[in-house]
Amino acid sequence: MRTATTAPERVGHAVFVTFVTLAYVFLMAPIVVVVLASLNAGNYLKFPPEGLSLRWYATFFHSAPFLNAMAVSLRVAVIATILSTIIGTLAAVYYTRFTTWGRQTLRMVMIAPMLLPEVLTAIALLLYYYVIGLGTQTLIGLQIGHVLVTMPYVFLNVTANLGNLDPALEEAARSLGASPAAAFSRISLPLMKQGVVNGAMFAFIISFDLFSISLLLKGVDTVTLPIQLFDYLQWNFDPTAAAVSTMSILVTLTVVLLTDRFVGLRTVRF
Amino acid sequence: MNQAIGRIVLTAPRRRAAGRWRWLLILPALLLVLLFLGVPYLNIVVMSFRTPSTGAPYAPGFTVASYAKALSDPLYLGILWRTLRISVLVTALCLLIAYPVSYHLARTRSRFRGLLFACILSPLLVGVVIRCYGWIILLANNGLVNVTLRQWGLIRRPLPMLNNEFGVTLGLVHIYLPFMILPLLGAIQGINPSLEEAARSLGASRIWVMRHVVWPLSAPGVQSGTVLVFVLSVSSYVTPVVLGGSRVQMMAPIVVQQLDEAFLWPFGTALAIVLAITGGLSVVAWFRITQRLFKGAL
Repeated sequence: MRTATTAPERVGHAVFVTFVTLAYVFLMAPIVVVVLASLNAGNYLKFPPEGLSLRWYATFFHSAPFLNAMAVSLRVAVIATILSTIIGTLAAVYYTRFTTWGRQTLRMVMIAPMLLPEVLTAIALLLYYYVIGLGTQTLIGLQIGHVLVTMPYVFLNVTANLGNLDPALEEAARSLGASPAAAFSRISLPLMKQGVVNGAMFAFIISFDLFSISLLLKGVDTVTLPIQLFDYLQWNFDPTAAAVSTMSILVTLTVVLLTDRFVGLRTVRF
Repeated sequence: MNQAIGRIVLTAPRRRAAGRWRWLLILPALLLVLLFLGVPYLNIVVMSFRTPSTGAPYAPGFTVASYAKALSDPLYLGILWRTLRISVLVTALCLLIAYPVSYHLARTRSRFRGLLFACILSPLLVGVVIRCYGWIILLANNGLVNVTLRQWGLIRRPLPMLNNEFGVTLGLVHIYLPFMILPLLGAIQGINPSLEEAARSLGASRIWVMRHVVWPLSAPGVQSGTVLVFVLSVSSYVTPVVLGGSRVQMMAPIVVQQLDEAFLWPFGTALAIVLAITGGLSVVAWFRITQRLFKGAL
């Protein structure tokens, strides 16, 4: 199979493999280090570590600001997921089934919130809310921002899923006498479940980790977890932040594993 | 048979009636994007031409004074230049690291393939603040790297790796690397391996095959990956603040500062639009360059 290799080529291959390995180490190192620091007994992470401890998790569970931020984040992410899944799925059905003209334009409009820089959208929303008198005292403005930027992920996942569906399946049901509603709910809906759930998963994760929009649109009591962590890190570097980060990673990991368990993960192309 | 035909004829008018309400499906999404993206963006464009005021965020009347200030003040031009410089460097480094990784993952038949793919995707599932914090643990003066190097006696004083351009660049490369790997991976997976094998069997060296077969055919992936990473870097907020501190100022934090802390709405929005237009023009220029670089490949 492999063509004869010369000595310099073998050296080249070794360099290549080493480089790729180091790249993976580079990708994973900061995340692994955060998890290790959260379990480390000492204030600073050292090798060898100073022993295992859950004390930083205890600090987290006694910190009102962090617990409150976790609650706000979960609430915002769940509401954003529900709303953007409904809105994005309906739009995706319309886009794949009924658009005849202006398809490309409609697609661009739908994914624009994902393509535009988040910080610019956050600024635009902040000034807009002041101008229309909505302000940032309530969660509403922040919540709309989260729905806005997560909707494209649902739209893309569901359109990709529906694009692979054979329209003949639904036509067959129709020709056998099913009403359009019945054909859709009995045939297409179960087949598009995977796309919808994967889209919802992305919406949740994006919303849970969203930064700029949460930062600029936060009110006094509506600080999300990434913002609380960011504020904390301005003055403290103790491993409480690591425990908080690990908890946050666990939340997203749970969502990914649940999705994989129930409908299976799909690979999406950007 | 007759019955079936009859049923289709019967349902046809009802189907048309349902068709009239189809647009209701797209309405919520359309309203969301138009009212909370279209109008707000128009609003910041209008705002950037408003007259600045000291007592209120802005005064009545229109002017281009904010743009004049944004484009003439050496302080802001310097920050814009640094932002572009760091973003170009980050994009180049991401391409340099991502290309071998993507090529390896596209061609490997290892049983750990799925695990490797998960390693590339998993950073995307971890918030940016958390990933920056990971770099703080590693790079701080009493961080893992400095302490370990001191223990080994390699250095006496800690190497400064935070609150400078090194830290910001490293952090940005780490955070945007998956956005370079994914398009490259897609492009390289689309190249038929038999093309490479053919060239190799005709006596071409590995380097020659990479340069003249794989690289030109991966052009679309290179193009979209570089554009994605550049745009994300230019508008990055968290990494410069967390890893650069007050010493490495970049555009997005400055814009937020002008609006959220100083309440200079016309100037802040003008600065944001200058950044957006500079970024956009850079992307257009890059498209031109890549078109020439890859000649017929794109």
